[in-house]
Amino acid sequence: MRFLKITKWELKNTLSSKKFITIIILQFGLLILMMSFFNMFIGSIESEDGISLSPSLSKFASIDVSDNNSFIITNLNKEVLDIRLVDYNNSLKRLRDGKTTAIIVSPENPREKIESFQTINIDLYINSEDPKQSVVLNEVNSTLEALSTSISDEWINSLIPPEKIVDPEVKEEKKGEFLPLQIIKKMMIAILLFLPLFLFGNMVVDSIVGEKERKTGEIIIAMPLSHSDIIMGKNLAIILIIALQTAIWIITLLIAGFNIKNPQLVYLIVLLTSVPIIGITSVIATYSKNYKEAEIGLSLVYIIMVGFLIIPALAYISTRSLSSNISPMTLVMRIFSGEAISGVDFIIPIFSILMVSLISFWTSIKLFKRDDMVFGPRPNLIRIIMDFLGIKKREFK
Amino acid sequence: MKLMVLSKKEAQDILTNKIYILLVFVQIFIIFGALGLGMVSSVVTDPGLLDKYGATSSLKVGISEDLKNTSIVNNLKDQNLNLVFFKDMEEADKQLGSQLVAVIRVSPPPEENILFQSDTSNPFYPAVSEKINSAVDKFKLEKKLKSAGISEDLIEKIENPIILNKITINNDNLSDLAMNTSYFVEIIYGFIVPFVLLLPFFLASNIVTDSIVGERERKTFEILLMAPVSSSMVIIGKILPIFSFAMIQGITWAILLDILGVPIYNLFILILIMILVGLAFIGFGILISMFVDSTKEANSAITLTLMFASFILFIPLFMKVPYFESILNFIPTVLMVKMASSPSFEPSSMIYLIPTFLLSTLIFGLTVRYFRHERAIRL
Repeated sequence: MRFLKITKWELKNTLSSKKFITIIILQFGLLILMMSFFNMFIGSIESEDGISLSPSLSKFASIDVSDNNSFIITNLNKEVLDIRLVDYNNSLKRLRDGKTTAIIVSPENPREKIESFQTINIDLYINSEDPKQSVVLNEVNSTLEALSTSISDEWINSLIPPEKIVDPEVKEEKKGEFLPLQIIKKMMIAILLFLPLFLFGNMVVDSIVGEKERKTGEIIIAMPLSHSDIIMGKNLAIILIIALQTAIWIITLLIAGFNIKNPQLVYLIVLLTSVPIIGITSVIATYSKNYKEAEIGLSLVYIIMVGFLIIPALAYISTRSLSSNISPMTLVMRIFSGEAISGVDFIIPIFSILMVSLISFWTSIKLFKRDDMVFGPRPNLIRIIMDFLGIKKREFK
Repeated sequence: MKLMVLSKKEAQDILTNKIYILLVFVQIFIIFGALGLGMVSSVVTDPGLLDKYGATSSLKVGISEDLKNTSIVNNLKDQNLNLVFFKDMEEADKQLGSQLVAVIRVSPPPEENILFQSDTSNPFYPAVSEKINSAVDKFKLEKKLKSAGISEDLIEKIENPIILNKITINNDNLSDLAMNTSYFVEIIYGFIVPFVLLLPFFLASNIVTDSIVGERERKTFEILLMAPVSSSMVIIGKILPIFSFAMIQGITWAILLDILGVPIYNLFILILIMILVGLAFIGFGILISMFVDSTKEANSAITLTLMFASFILFIPLFMKVPYFESILNFIPTVLMVKMASSPSFEPSSMIYLIPTFLLSTLIFGLTVRYFRHERAIRL
C-alpha cells in the first residue's frame, strides 16, 4: 500500500493548483454548453416530421419567384429558401449571373385553369452552375406535390358526389425510435459520459515524462518505493480525479433532466473503462523520451481508442449486433437506455477492460523498471519486445 | 532579415515536428472519410439514389401472399421495394425490426383499408416510408377515381394536375458535384467545407502555444527576447511560418475538395476569412502561452479554448433560431458556407465580415501588448 503515498502527493499537488481548478471549472462550463446545445438540437429535430442530421442553415439556397397570384410563393419553404418575388425579365439576368439558384414562373391565371380542369404548367429555370440546385429542386418538388394533392382533391370533390367516393383508410404504426434521434440521444449522452476519460491524458504524460524531462526521476526511483508503487500511485491519482470529474458530470446530467437509468452502474462501468485508458497512456508516457513523442503516441492511440468505443456503439444502434458489446460504450448506452441486459453481455466488455488494464499496467511497470528507459539511452522497440519475450542479445566474444 | 532568420528557424522546428506532420496526414483521412460518409448517408436516405445504385435489396417489406398481382402490390413493385410474401402474417410481424423494414396489411374489398407497420429505427426507414407513401397515395387516388367511373384520360389529368418544366441554363459551366442531391449538398457545404478549411488553424494555435511554452521550458525564451528585434517582429517571426503552413493546407484542402467533386467558389473571399479566423486562433494561442507555466497547462487550456471556439463556429450551422438569424450571419463559418456554395459574389455580403475583422484585430492587438509586457518582466 506504499503506492498510496505517491497517490496522496500527486492528488495534493493537483488539487491545490489554482490552474487545475480553473481548468475543471472551464470543463464544467463546456459540459453546460454541450447540454444546452444538445437540448436545443433535440428540440429542433423532434419538431420536424422528417428527422435528419443535416445542417439547418436558413436561406441556404435562393429562388426568384414570378408569381402575381401568390399561387406558389406562399407554399415554398421560407426556412431553407431565400425567396424573392421578382419580375420574370429581371430574374433571368440574375440567374445567368449566378445571383440566384433558380426562378420559378407561375402561370398567369392558375385559379381559372383549376376551375376549368386544365393542367397547370410551371416553369423552373435552374442555374446548372450552382451546386445548391438540388436543394431548390427538392423544395420545389415538395411544394408542388402538396399543391397537386390539394388540386386533385378539389377536382375529385367537384366530379364525384361524396357518397360515391371510396377512400381507403391508411394507418401507419411506428415501432422503435428514429435512427438519427437514437444516434443523437444515445451517442451524445455516451460521449458526454466518456469525455472526462480523455481529458486527463496530459496529466499522466506530465507525471511520468515530466519526471524524465525535469530530471527528477532519479529522486523518485531512489526513494524506498518499488517501481510498481510509483507507476500505480501516479496513475491511481489520475483515476481518482477522473472518478470525481465523472461523478460531477453524471450528477449534473441527472439534475439537468437527462434520462440516465441505473446511474450507479453507468458510473461504475465508465470508471472501469478509465483504467485501461490510463494504463495505455501510462505505457506511452513511460516509453516516450519527451513530451512531443508522448503527444504523437497519445494522438494516435486516442484516435484508435475513441474509434474502438464509438464504432461498435454506432453499429449497435443501427444493427443490434451482439458483437458490438465488445465496446464498454455500447454496454453503458444499453444500461442508461434501460435495456434488459443479461450477465453474458457484461462478460465481453468487462473481460476486455480487465485484460487491457492488466497488460498495459504490467508493460508500463516493466518499462519503468528499465534504467535505460528512464535515464537513457532508450533501446529500440524491437530490442524491448525481444527482452519482454526473454530473447537475449547475442554477445560477440 | 532578422525576421527571416527567426521564421526559418521556426519553420524548421515545425517541419521536424512529427506530431504536426502526422496531423497533416490525419486531415487528409478526415476529408476522405467525411466525403465518403456524406455519400453513403445520401444514398441511404434518398430513394432515387437507392434505385440508381440498385441498392434496393435492403428495402424489405412484408406483405400477404394473397395480395399478389393486386394493384397495391404492383404500385409497391413500381417503387422498387423488395417485397417478401408471407402466407402467415404473424411470421411477418416477428421479422419486423430484424429482417423487414415494414409490414403491409390490406383489408378485403371493397374497403381495402391499409395498415403499414414500420421499424423507424432501421437506417432505410426514411427511403422505405417515402416509397410506401408514394405507392399508397397512387393506389388511393386510382381507387377513388375508378370507383366513380371516370375515364382513363381524366384520371391521368387528375393524377398529375401540375407539370413542372425544368429548364437549365449555364450548361457550359455545369457544377461538377460528386453527388447532385439535396442531402449531400447540405451536409458537405453546410458543415464539412468550413470544418475542413479551418482545421489547419486549430492545429496552428496548438503548435504556436507549444513553440512559446517550449522555449520557456527549455529556458531559451529569455535568449530570444534578448535578441535585438522588436516584440512585434518576434511575434511575426514566430507566427509567420505556422500561419503560412496553415494557409497552404487550407488552400490545398479547398483544391482537393474541388477535385473530389465539391466545387469551391469565391476562393479569394474564403482565403480572406481564413486569414482573419487564423489570426484570431493563433493570437489566442500566443495569449494562452503568456498565461501558463508548462506544456501541460498550455495543452489543457488550448484544448478547452478550441472546444469553445468549435461551439461558436460550428453550432450556428445546425441552429434554427429565426430571431437570431441576422446575428448568425456574422459568424464567419456561416459566411464561408454561403461563399463556398455561390457561383457569384455579392460585395454587400462583406459587411458580415466586419465583426470577425474587428475581433481578430482586437485579439492580435492584445497579443502584441501582452507579449511586450511579458518581455518587460522577463528582461
